[in-house]
Amino acid sequence: MTAQPRGPHDEPEGIIGELSDYLDRGESPPTELLDRSPAHRIALDSLLRFRSVARGLLQADADAEPDSDDGWVSRILTNIHIEARAGRSIPLTSSTPGAEFTITEGAVRGVIRAAGDSVPGALIGRCRLDGDVTVPGTPITVAVQASVPWGEPIRAAAHRIRESIAASVRRHSELNLAAVDVTVTDVTRRREAQEPER
Amino acid sequence: MTPLQELSLAEASDGVLAGRAADGEVRSFEVLVRRHGPLMRAYATRVLGSTSESDDVVQEAFITAWDQLPTVNDLNAVKSWMMRITSRRAIDRIRARRDHAPLEDWEVEAPDSDTPHHRAEAESQWDTISQVLGRLSETQRQCWLLRELAGHSYDEIADQLKIPLSTVRGHLARARRKLVEEMEEWR
Repeated sequence: MTAQPRGPHDEPEGIIGELSDYLDRGESPPTELLDRSPAHRIALDSLLRFRSVARGLLQADADAEPDSDDGWVSRILTNIHIEARAGRSIPLTSSTPGAEFTITEGAVRGVIRAAGDSVPGALIGRCRLDGDVTVPGTPITVAVQASVPWGEPIRAAAHRIRESIAASVRRHSELNLAAVDVTVTDVTRRREAQEPER
Repeated sequence: MTPLQELSLAEASDGVLAGRAADGEVRSFEVLVRRHGPLMRAYATRVLGSTSESDDVVQEAFITAWDQLPTVNDLNAVKSWMMRITSRRAIDRIRARRDHAPLEDWEVEAPDSDTPHHRAEAESQWDTISQVLGRLSETQRQCWLLRELAGHSYDEIADQLKIPLSTVRGHLARARRKLVEEMEEWR
């Protein structure tokens, strides 16, 4: 490989590297750099076009893939380690001497999701139990991310999610619930709401 | 789960689904698998140059993704994160194929016509792109695919391909220069 001489002829390589650095940082190259030479705009155009054509074609490949057959999907689902998500063990009081009852953190998260999802249009995302759930009586804060329906006051939706989760956690567990924090991460339009009205 | 909730899952954002999957809900993970599996498979096929191994690669990638989901900070970026896992798995395969050969000596066939499902139109465009990519050295092509299609950082590429960071920069610079030159002829 011969070294490129430094000089005016080296400019195309230099400018491509420079433009690529901007693109890699997700920035647009400054106008004065592009205005310096028509070759700069051509190079930027080529870089962007090649990348976008290649990405578009990859998407076309994906679209042309046969629908993931159920066998392929279920092979993945049967091979994932579901038990790894049980989380901490939460003790339950027992009146039977020598008998110990616990519920897993994963099961409590399931209860929380179901309670949040039962609010119309809401969907619970990530859910966290803050506090030492393994020690009975410790104040516990439930923190959830949630998607709420479009067209409704967000605060009202978040409030209903909170109430539903609090009631359900108190009914199904012995956790000392200190607070339920709801972070709204998405506002989603339902499919029927997206249909054009006229 | 009621049919209405199934429908909401199918329409849910990646972030919500990834959060639920991180907490252990398999149904949400299944939606992610169906939503992004085809793109991951297409990518693996392009990197490996054949469809025969891409199914395995993508299955392994999803199993890894399930295990690592609880550690992901930006759940909304789960798609590009899973693409990078797919990419790492594909590179592992290539490395296994050429176990002791130095990276520069790889002779992986350029992505070619081993893709029976494609629309004819996309096929001819891919042919052109493949030809252009085919004029790069193997490592240049790998660097370009990892950077531009899978969104790896320079550091990740260096780590993946076991080459110094400066070499990655050099390969990408040369790859881009060649691609721009080829594109001149397209215009």
